[in-house]
Amino acid sequence: MAGAVSSRGCRRLRSSQIRDLLDTKHCVLFDCDGVIWNGEKAVVGAPEVVSLLKKRGKNVFFVTNNCTRPRESYVQKFSRLGFKDVGQNEILSSAYCSALYLRDVAKVQGKVFVIGGDGMYKELRQAGIPFVGGESDAAGVTISDCPLDSDIKAVLVGYDDKLNFMKLAKACCYLRNPECLFLATDTDPWHPLREGRVIPGSGSLTAALETATDRKATVIGKPSRFMFECIASQFAVDPARSLMVGDRLKTDILFGASCGVDTVLTLTGVSTLEEARSYRDSYAPEEQAFVPDYVVDTIADFLPALEDGGTL
Amino acid sequence: MALSKCNRLSGPLIRELLDSVESVLFDCDGVIWRGDQAIPGAPEVINLLKKNGKRVFFVTNNSTKTRKMYADKLASLGFNATEEEVFGTAYCSAMYLKSIPHLKGKVYLIGSKAMKQELQTVGIEQVGAGPDPITGVQSDWANVPLDPDVKAVVVGFDEHFSYMKLNRAMQYLSNPECLLVGTNTDTRLPLEGGKAVPGTGCLLKAVETAAQRQAQVVGKPSHFMFDCVASQYGLDPAKTLMVGDRLDTDILLGTNCGLKTLLTLTGVSTVADAKEHQQSGCPKRLGMVPDYFVESIAELLPALQG
Repeated sequence: MAGAVSSRGCRRLRSSQIRDLLDTKHCVLFDCDGVIWNGEKAVVGAPEVVSLLKKRGKNVFFVTNNCTRPRESYVQKFSRLGFKDVGQNEILSSAYCSALYLRDVAKVQGKVFVIGGDGMYKELRQAGIPFVGGESDAAGVTISDCPLDSDIKAVLVGYDDKLNFMKLAKACCYLRNPECLFLATDTDPWHPLREGRVIPGSGSLTAALETATDRKATVIGKPSRFMFECIASQFAVDPARSLMVGDRLKTDILFGASCGVDTVLTLTGVSTLEEARSYRDSYAPEEQAFVPDYVVDTIADFLPALEDGGTL
Repeated sequence: MALSKCNRLSGPLIRELLDSVESVLFDCDGVIWRGDQAIPGAPEVINLLKKNGKRVFFVTNNSTKTRKMYADKLASLGFNATEEEVFGTAYCSAMYLKSIPHLKGKVYLIGSKAMKQELQTVGIEQVGAGPDPITGVQSDWANVPLDPDVKAVVVGFDEHFSYMKLNRAMQYLSNPECLLVGTNTDTRLPLEGGKAVPGTGCLLKAVETAAQRQAQVVGKPSHFMFDCVASQYGLDPAKTLMVGDRLDTDILLGTNCGLKTLLTLTGVSTVADAKEHQQSGCPKRLGMVPDYFVESIAELLPALQG
């Protein structure tokens, strides 16, 4: 084959190699959808993997772009699906991190206009950030005559199944002011449901608003580094000794690469081995960041390495 | 070559330019009217051009009116014009779909009543227009019933745009044989009074992103709009003038189709914008440099009245 194409990445791991890899890591980050569960079903073996990692003294965090639930709802889901003792402080969701960003980084003084849902509203409320967005307009009101709130200092866009034209139009008006912040929970263009079905994602709504305003959103979720920084600000995390396990190349794997963290692609979700290999073999330098260091069929492949009596 | 462009049109040059063309294409918003008010002098310009034997056409990316509605608006503002001279994207999208060989079937429409009417006029049935609020849960949405006769998704301006419509479009587009057509990519509507209203471009972007597909766009700067007029009236590009207020739609269309181009400053783009493109040296941007510019099309009046 002509050309010096890097053959780095996409290494299939056998259990002894997994043990060696985990030996060098003190922290494991997991995406959720397509990695530890699919819808309401845990990936077989996933609860045991998480449990054993913690038993072996690893810090485990769950880093998800899914902004439809507040963290306490995630805690309940973990419990319901058989994951033991997963606490709120181990869960980094894009809704929670958006609230953190607004409160602690942007230090917003004023209200936020939200295109989103209950998950986002709850996290904003908990962080003490005033917001508007869920209310319906009176019948017959149009963008020419609808009242605009004069105290909006930021627009936050996430997954919103009640999206309508008025919300887009209002957000567009607020964002005309260059001082008004523009945040997005994530850029995932579509979300998978069961049996290969998909539905439009936050990314498609964010793209619409970016087009309408000619502005780029500050993205909170993966692949942006911010959620990793949220972890690192509260716990001593060394990127070189951390591992990111995900199922989406342009989200999870890119996130890992941006944070200087080794990445594992698991094949129980969105991306395929073929896609990963085609990025590996691509001549486009920017596509190298989508290439996972390692590949497993499922995170249950970690079990033999973890169940061994040996010390890690 | 590039240096001879972007000249102020004045004096004897106006007469020279007008004598060299047989047909004039006008954009509407920001060129002949603003909102519901004619640009002062615009009706006289159009009417005199016709009296002078020129053919006049109106080429607009706005998909919310039928040709008939445009003709009514033109008449109410004092323009001497007929339906047949109007080429809006509602009409042109219908013509575009009609022109695709073997496309027999329905269209899933995200768009206005006007679009629905223009489609009906050429015999294309649509589904989807009107309000479509969300009901049910996520698994319902991924399994929305799809009309098996739908062969294309068409996106125009739609004040009833909703997540549910975006979802339906995406589900139809999961069939790679289903076409995706957009009326235009303008990012904002021209609106007086400082409010910024998202344009069709933003709705189309949502659909393109969710479906991970690029649309075929009918409106300016795509050459289809010109082809539509030219095929019906036998226009010679070298003897046709495009008059517009947007460099990235009107002027670019003109350049792409080999027309002469005139920028008017009563709308969106400025001379500074044009000069920046001219000096950029970037081939793609040079297409947005007009041959000439005027402050307002009213400046054509003396040459027409003389």
